[in-house]
Amino acid sequence: MIDVAELQLASGTVSRPDAWVRLLLETVQTTSVECNPRAVQLAPDDPELFSHPFAVLVGDGELPPVSDRAREQLVRYLSYGGFLFVDDATGDPESGFDRSVRALLGQLFPTRPLGVLSSDHSVYRSFFLIERPVGRVAVHQVLAGVQLGSMHPVIYSQDDLSGALDRRADGMDRSACVPGGESQRREAVKLGINLLLYALTSNYKHDQAHVRRLMEEGRIE
Amino acid sequence: MMAWLTSGGNFAGGHLVWSGEAWVLATVATLVVIALGLATRPTPLAGRLGELAALALAGLGLVLLAARPTWLAEGERTEPGRVVVLVDASRSMGVTEPAGQTRLALAREVLARLPDAERFHFGGDLRPGEALTADLGATDIAGALQALSRRYAGEALAGIVLVTDGIDRGGLLRIEADGRRRLDPSALPELPGPLTVVQIGEDRAVPDVAVVDVRAGAFAFLRAPFTIEVDVVRTAVDLAATTVTLTRNGQAAGTRSAAFDQLGRGRVSFPVTPDAPGRFIYEVSVPAPPDDAVPGNNSMSRAIRVVRDRVRVLQVCGSPSMDQKFLRLFLKEDPGVDLVSFFILRTMADMGSDYAPQELSLIEFPYRRLFADDLATFDLVILQNFDHEPYFERDSDRLLENLAEYVKNGGALAFLGGDRSFDLGEYAGTPLAEVLPIELGIPGESVDPAPFAPTLTAAGARHPLTRLAADGAENQALWGRLPVLDGTNLSLGPADDAAVLLAHPSLTTGGGPLPILAVRQVGLGRTMALSVDSSWRWSFAEASTGGGNQAYLRFWKSAMRWLVGDPDDQAVTIEVARENVEPGEVQKAVVRVRDAGFAPLPGATVIGEVLGPRGRTPLSLPTDGQGLATIEVPTAERGAHRIKVRAVSAGGLQLGGAETVYAVVTRDPELDRIAPDSEALQALATATAGLYIAPGTWQAPLYDDAAARVVRERRESPLWSAPLLGVFVAAMASLGWWWRRRGGRR
Repeated sequence: MIDVAELQLASGTVSRPDAWVRLLLETVQTTSVECNPRAVQLAPDDPELFSHPFAVLVGDGELPPVSDRAREQLVRYLSYGGFLFVDDATGDPESGFDRSVRALLGQLFPTRPLGVLSSDHSVYRSFFLIERPVGRVAVHQVLAGVQLGSMHPVIYSQDDLSGALDRRADGMDRSACVPGGESQRREAVKLGINLLLYALTSNYKHDQAHVRRLMEEGRIE
Repeated sequence: MMAWLTSGGNFAGGHLVWSGEAWVLATVATLVVIALGLATRPTPLAGRLGELAALALAGLGLVLLAARPTWLAEGERTEPGRVVVLVDASRSMGVTEPAGQTRLALAREVLARLPDAERFHFGGDLRPGEALTADLGATDIAGALQALSRRYAGEALAGIVLVTDGIDRGGLLRIEADGRRRLDPSALPELPGPLTVVQIGEDRAVPDVAVVDVRAGAFAFLRAPFTIEVDVVRTAVDLAATTVTLTRNGQAAGTRSAAFDQLGRGRVSFPVTPDAPGRFIYEVSVPAPPDDAVPGNNSMSRAIRVVRDRVRVLQVCGSPSMDQKFLRLFLKEDPGVDLVSFFILRTMADMGSDYAPQELSLIEFPYRRLFADDLATFDLVILQNFDHEPYFERDSDRLLENLAEYVKNGGALAFLGGDRSFDLGEYAGTPLAEVLPIELGIPGESVDPAPFAPTLTAAGARHPLTRLAADGAENQALWGRLPVLDGTNLSLGPADDAAVLLAHPSLTTGGGPLPILAVRQVGLGRTMALSVDSSWRWSFAEASTGGGNQAYLRFWKSAMRWLVGDPDDQAVTIEVARENVEPGEVQKAVVRVRDAGFAPLPGATVIGEVLGPRGRTPLSLPTDGQGLATIEVPTAERGAHRIKVRAVSAGGLQLGGAETVYAVVTRDPELDRIAPDSEALQALATATAGLYIAPGTWQAPLYDDAAARVVRERRESPLWSAPLLGVFVAAMASLGWWWRRRGGRR
């Protein structure tokens, strides 16, 4: 069963286990995917990472340098089937975390630039049909990713998706979603489920049978 | 002088040559000189000149004999030009004309009119002498004339008489763009004499319906439609149409009606979609009318090899998971796989969430189409943690029965574990359970969640499916190093005729280890059951160690190849040199025998038989150092032939079997069209300024009076063997001896 591994560095990263537990529970309730609703915190060079093929990196500040061993393991993890969702918790287009993430991904995949995903990318239709990817904020409303083969094993949001999912111990949402409020949070939950389904099914929703049928029914163009 | 010496002869002109061996001549001359020297002793020479002169002449005669003088006379004379007859001896000349004589017999009547002519016969080549039978093929009239021209290069012939029915396979006439046939002048040589063409056989006088061509490539692709085109002709038969029947390996595959046009030609097409790989004999036939002159040309066979272009795989998964993800990635990245995936993303239990259908990207699961209409289009079906009941509902039995029949008819099924599969998917007692390699219906708990490392069984160590390395010890070590799995579905054990390749290290069932990976041959198809949903760890966790994911890729690659049972991917394969051979040729088939690791296996015994239209021929032979056994089969009988073999290792292990088919063509190209071709013969006569003699008529062939040939003569007269020379030597020797005795000497 799938769970979430939160990558933790010495600084700059944020741990939001409740957000991921919420996402996993929502996924279990909404889809046929069997999840283990838990989040574990791991360093990027921890070999245990290969027991958790869905990982997240959430941050709000500049990241410290990553060791060669950690970089090598991350490349191996992402090249052999692992998935990493990177979430900028600041919502700031020019955050230190954003600079650090772009630099890190550039080191990991120097020939595979981080690029904006096209509007018909499978992540936007892996379960829900999503037109605007949003999180706690709706500043960018796009996802970016690094492509390896036919899949993007790294997907990056700058709209603080985990902030929209995060809850306090009493079950209340930790932050308000702006500017869209609860409807925006609902879209954020749908995006989170799509990310999980995309991590499992990759480009399945681009198979001919699905595309043809969805077009026939007018659900996509 | 010469005449006197050689007792007569005509030696007008000529010259003398000495043909004796030098050493013989020298020896004789030396002996003569020594003898003469001895003869001069002991008395003085005075008064002995006569004696010595006679002996010297005898000695000279002996030296002449040793020098072997020969008189060589050369001359030439002129004779009238020759007449040459070329008789067509191809099989079409064996056709019986309405009058009751074969065409060859009619040709002999022509020969009887030309008793002094030199005789040749031809089919594909020119042969001296008279034809005894009409049994040659590939008639090539232009080729025969070219061979004749080369043979008589530099000599003018008084006449060339060509006796034939005109049915030519050598391209004498070329079909032009306007559809008309014209003679190809470049095919004809400059003839050494005037040509007379004698046609044998009346045009269109012989009733016949024939299949003259079946056009289909030697290869076809599995499930890809192709067309078999058939040409038929009729001559001297009053038929508007005929029924053309197509069979595949003797089984009816369709009929079509072919209408004849004004020229008696008909054409029909059969659309064919092969549903299995391998070699197949497609035979086309038309019914023979009661007076059909050549029933042998009423059918024609073609052997066609059907190959896969891509393996078509259906992956159905009951719940997206890492196991499903890794298997899809493997299948999707293989260019040899055409993958159709269907994943259940939402079940009835998930319907409580308040999302409207239009928010979802889900489509209806087309289970009826997949498991009824389109099932036969797949080479391999993978049921991955899939529970049938929620989706198949009332159709469950029918669709699972379809799946079981699909397997029995040659399909492949991979049945993978998980929390919705095996007994958790309620497959026990269903039609599908009957074809699985494990027994279902375990009471109580049907999963064991404890992580474990499966062990390779003895069968697994030999089986190609579980060969991660060619070397047995290395293979064992590789399996031992793989990461542990997450837990397993339980079962009652393997089915009766299944093989267990991986087993649980500690759990048992039915007195044996719990099967983790089991395989089974069911009818023509194969099934595999893997009781875990964590084989992906062989890829991902293995990659974490720096070892890459080769073990996972090899395992699934081997599994897929074994399941689909590709004919070229078996331990024993057989390959024929040609799919279609003619009667009289030797068909060669090569059997390749490999061990479980697909290494060539020398010293194995190949046992089998060749099944032909008239019975079976057993065969048994060993494999050579490369694991190959070559079978050579004479092909006397026309029709479809099947070679079936099985191989046994030197240790008695059954290695498997293979079979193939080939066709000994039931059609004789010489008998495709048997109507004489007067158009070709008249064109030939016109092109060569020759004479055409129609069938049933006769006139003197063209004869060139001016044609002459110079006969060169060379005559050798050996003087040394002339009788008078011997007499002369004897007389001189006797005279000398008499003189000597008369002088009182001894």
